Amino acid sequence: MNAAAFYFESSMAQESTEIARGLRRRDPDLLDRLIEQYQHRLLRYLVYLTGRRDLAEDLFQETWIRVLERGHQFNDKYAFSTWLFSVARNLAIDHMRRKQPSSLDGLVDNNMQNNEDRAPFDVPDAAGASAFDLTLQREQGEQITAGMQHLPAEYREALVLRFQEGMSLEEIASVARVPLGTVKSRIYRGLSALEPWLKGAQL
Amino acid sequence: MKHMPNNDAHQQARKLIALSGAEILSANQLSDQQSSNAWLAAHLETCASCRTFAENAADTIHGLRAIPIAAGRGLVSTTQIRVRRRALELQRQRERMWLVAVSCTAVTLCALLSTVAFWLGFAWLGARAQLASSVWQVGFLVFCVMPALVAAILLLAKAKDKDKDKDNDNDNYKHLAHHTGSYQG
Repeated sequence: MNAAAFYFESSMAQESTEIARGLRRRDPDLLDRLIEQYQHRLLRYLVYLTGRRDLAEDLFQETWIRVLERGHQFNDKYAFSTWLFSVARNLAIDHMRRKQPSSLDGLVDNNMQNNEDRAPFDVPDAAGASAFDLTLQREQGEQITAGMQHLPAEYREALVLRFQEGMSLEEIASVARVPLGTVKSRIYRGLSALEPWLKGAQL
Repeated sequence: MKHMPNNDAHQQARKLIALSGAEILSANQLSDQQSSNAWLAAHLETCASCRTFAENAADTIHGLRAIPIAAGRGLVSTTQIRVRRRALELQRQRERMWLVAVSCTAVTLCALLSTVAFWLGFAWLGARAQLASSVWQVGFLVFCVMPALVAAILLLAKAKDKDKDKDNDNDNYKHLAHHTGSYQG
């Protein structure tokens, strides 16, 4: 077990070193590969962070341009995904600051809150499930999506990084640049705030 | 952990559930080695509201994981093209900067070498002509300043010519205006 963990950790470290070396060289092939590899994770994070698909797609492209330009700043002691999400987060905050001077709170789109019918998240049908399961899953997904839209951006971010990206609490703290205790409280509060929405789906 | 007040116990249990994620919620995955997990398992057996919270949390987490958001092929290829184009721009910029740096270094080196060579030349000429050192040094100074002086004089002269042309044009316009006025009248 320990040997497997050691092998896993060393291969991760080796991968980070290779990425850091490639980013310093601004290797376009490496960047192509990274874009392919992290496309869904990064877009999902940005969609949840901004609450808008179109803005998330713009920021997605800007993030990779920034990765190219600032690649030499990546420290291979950390996981690439942590650094990538930090870059994306900073760009999202910069975007909101340009729009209106505020923190991540500004990422809760007022238009979106006023218009509950418009879902920014796509909830496509899952393949290979029964009609009942599909309907249930779809309803549950819609309720959670609606609930997520009403959460403060900080809570959304913590929930997405924890439960969708499977990041450790320390990694989330590093991305969000907040103490570990704040991350724990955001996850707890975010999950508690989503509970009533899920109950609505089960009724 | 066993002797905490009731409200604190519920909050502690809910925090543990939230932070552990969906994994902790299946009883067979609870590890007795971890005291907090064992305590949580015991608490969940006796507390219905926390059990409901745990079930809801598990459903929420499963629901969150089940919402697929996929990047379109177009977005990925557009991003790749933009990144490649920017990489090319940065490479060209770097090459240009390198060229500028090399040129600056070459010019500085040439200036230094030629200054030394001319200084020695003027010293040799001064010695040949049996001039006082202050004389050939002033000559060297004038020689060094001369190109800048000539350029400045030429530029001033050009500017003066331009002003003169402008004045002539204005006179012509005035003259024309005067004539047009007379025709109109």
